[in-house]
Amino acid sequence: MRRRPGIGGLQTAAAARDQYRLVGENVAKIRTDMMKEQLATFRTQLEEFARKHKNDIRKNPAFRSQFHEMCAKVGVDPLASNKGFWAELLGIGDFYYELGVQIVEICLATRPHNGGLINLQELCILLRQRKSDREAVSEDDCLRAISKLKVLGSGFEVISVGKKKLVRSVPTELNKDHNEILELAQAQGFVTVEEVERRFSWTSGRAIDALDTLLDEGLAMIDDGHRDGKRRYWFPCVSSNSTPVADT
Amino acid sequence: MATNSLPKADLTSSGRPVFLQNEIECSILSSVDLECDDIPNFPLLKSGLLVLTTHRLLWLPDNSSSSSSSSAAAVALPLSFLTHIFSTKKSVKTLFHSPRVRFQASLDSSKSVVMTVVMRGKGDTDAFLAKFWENWRARAWENDVQTQTQAGVGSSSVSGSGPGSGSGGFYTREGAVRMVGVSGILRKEQEMWESTDKSLQEAFQDLNALMSKAKEMVILAEKMRQKLLSGSNSKSSATNDDEVGSKEEMQDWLLSVGIVSPVTKESAGALYHQQLSRQLADYVRIPLERAGGMINLIDVYCLFNRARGTELISPDDLLRACSLWEKFDVPVMLRKFDSGVMVIQNKSHSDEEVFARIKALVTNPDTLRTGISASDAAMTLGIAPGMAKEHLLTAESKGLLCRDISPDGFRFYINLFPEINTDDVYLVKDYGIYNTWVRVASASRLE
Repeated sequence: MRRRPGIGGLQTAAAARDQYRLVGENVAKIRTDMMKEQLATFRTQLEEFARKHKNDIRKNPAFRSQFHEMCAKVGVDPLASNKGFWAELLGIGDFYYELGVQIVEICLATRPHNGGLINLQELCILLRQRKSDREAVSEDDCLRAISKLKVLGSGFEVISVGKKKLVRSVPTELNKDHNEILELAQAQGFVTVEEVERRFSWTSGRAIDALDTLLDEGLAMIDDGHRDGKRRYWFPCVSSNSTPVADT
Repeated sequence: MATNSLPKADLTSSGRPVFLQNEIECSILSSVDLECDDIPNFPLLKSGLLVLTTHRLLWLPDNSSSSSSSSAAAVALPLSFLTHIFSTKKSVKTLFHSPRVRFQASLDSSKSVVMTVVMRGKGDTDAFLAKFWENWRARAWENDVQTQTQAGVGSSSVSGSGPGSGSGGFYTREGAVRMVGVSGILRKEQEMWESTDKSLQEAFQDLNALMSKAKEMVILAEKMRQKLLSGSNSKSSATNDDEVGSKEEMQDWLLSVGIVSPVTKESAGALYHQQLSRQLADYVRIPLERAGGMINLIDVYCLFNRARGTELISPDDLLRACSLWEKFDVPVMLRKFDSGVMVIQNKSHSDEEVFARIKALVTNPDTLRTGISASDAAMTLGIAPGMAKEHLLTAESKGLLCRDISPDGFRFYINLFPEINTDDVYLVKDYGIYNTWVRVASASRLE
């Protein structure tokens, strides 16, 4: 564009720039919209192919790797078997295995927030979100899928806290929650459920589960006799009479 | 000196071949000899594994059977060197011989040599030959160069595409006329979208169409991804950006750990579990490092399956692959706790190392007197109390510690009995832990 001198020239230039910007923004908006639309088509198509042609895809290694790449790039879950009649009846087929992988994945992804303890209902809701428009996954399906993982040890289990069902994906051996509680208990020698929840902002199930495990391990003792009526968990092992151990 | 002109092949620490970019494993046969009479001093390549990929033919020494002298190094023959594959003649003679495949390859420009693959194993020779032909004809190595240049163009166009920058040549074809002006840009955008729509439609007609257009679609997917990622970073934050963002995060996580060439029952046949085990050992290193040297087996099940894409393995297969590690020289091991929990851990994370730390912990003057509880150990070693208790109990069963049960709970002390001379129980040497303990104990009594 040729520059013209004077205030008028500047104003015209500014107006023209505004116009261009407006058009540019419009185009950009349309572009993102179109993009999202095409991406959506891409996704549904890929999902359908993953479901329909699973065996054919697996027969051709070179194509399979390209298919995986596509799925990964546009965010499609390549595990998409239908439940089907036989899976429902006998539990055979890939459906429950695939569901198992998806369940563990959700547990892994939410672990930073919930410490490896997730409400079964919440798990189902998250699963349904990812499974888009296809058949709903029931809590019973989840339980069946989890039971298929039993072969790999008892590190993944469904526990009941009150009326709620929780899925625990961190085994006691690897659970760092207990260390935090022990550290908290060092101050007074005991903790209460409320105190733990307040200090770490955990959900009630998480605190109760951790304290129960510590009870089972013989590290904690219960005291219900206090005046405020709150159950106290005493930790004799960390109480002040034992010498704190210096770091080696 | 062209004695051994076959290129060496790199192997991972667990003995799996290191693949090139875009190279995919198609078939594995065991007990295969590779012979070549045309090259003097050709190394003795006897009863190894033969791996056929889209790019190369690899021969690896089979170190799972300890009897074979695995002195020969792994070699690789790029399929691009092949000049001819001889068809096998069926005759009475071949019935009594191990099946063999002969082919001609030119190792350097001047001369070509004939090599023979002798299959002494039980593998399906015909299927292998068919795949061999197929991969040689597909010439996958030629596509690599193309893909790279295309990808380069794609990324550069993405990086330079601010709103209205005009160069947004999303799927620009060579022949596209460059139009000037705003209307030109708009029209070009329009054309671009139409062509993308069309190619999407074409590609997803049926499986064959998708196969033939696969590479194009992969590039398209990458472009969309890049575009969306850059879009969500910039100001145009739409309402459902959060959703897109979270999905993006998730797939980033998956992408970072992908296995391009998963071992499958079909490619590995009878060697399935053995090869799976090796691949798992290679794969698990990074997640293990992130998890701090010990990871739940179920977590690995999820991560490994995710990395394999559609090639789901069952929990039983995973367990079998892990239990095979005992036989191979791999840096990881499966560990079962009494509670039934199974984890994978580094061998360096082994009991010996933990015992050394526990011993250091229980032999300082304070703990000699008071002993340690599981929670003390947990806090000092930085592990979960359940784990610490497990370690202490193991150390006790090894004779390193003794326990004391009191109202304070379980406490563990160093086991002094090995130091006490049974002939003279009152003799205290003027060194050692027993001596330190006596001094500490008498000092505390004086207090």
